[in-house]
Amino acid sequence: MDKSEELQQFLELEKQKAMVSEMVGKLTNVCWDKCITGTPGSKLSSGESSCLTNCAQRYMDMSIIIMKRFQSMQ
Amino acid sequence: MDSFSSPSSLSSGSSESSGRSAEAMMDQLKAQLAQAYAEEFLETVRSKCFAKCITKPGTSLSGSESSCVSRCVERYIEATGIVGRALFSSPR
Repeated sequence: MDKSEELQQFLELEKQKAMVSEMVGKLTNVCWDKCITGTPGSKLSSGESSCLTNCAQRYMDMSIIIMKRFQSMQ
Repeated sequence: MDSFSSPSSLSSGSSESSGRSAEAMMDQLKAQLAQAYAEEFLETVRSKCFAKCITKPGTSLSGSESSCVSRCVERYIEATGIVGRALFSSPR
């Protein structure tokens, strides 16, 4: 593998990693507002934890529906 | 032909140095990405915790406001971990 191939692979991998952390950041931002309604305590309640998990997963489900819907309209 | 002008010594020299500079560039890019991520994360935490904890700004931060902010930072980091694991532990 020559240098330019190695660089391309590196850039592609870093791009993927950046996209993943952007998604996590955005979801945490949105789900925090939906799930942590009161003043932050000394730990997250089980209700808050499961709300965060559900929020992230439902967002991904919604994303799939939107994509399928959009594709069926093409 | 002396060793300074032979093609093989020239090409091995330049590929070695371009190898080192490519690696240095990759390291620098990773460091910059990590820094940009950290800055964005901090900005989000500042915004969230100010909204939650400093409801009526006074002439200084009260003790309860300060401890609220500390807890808020810890909870937000915890929330980030939960969201990250939720995305990658149960594929649908």
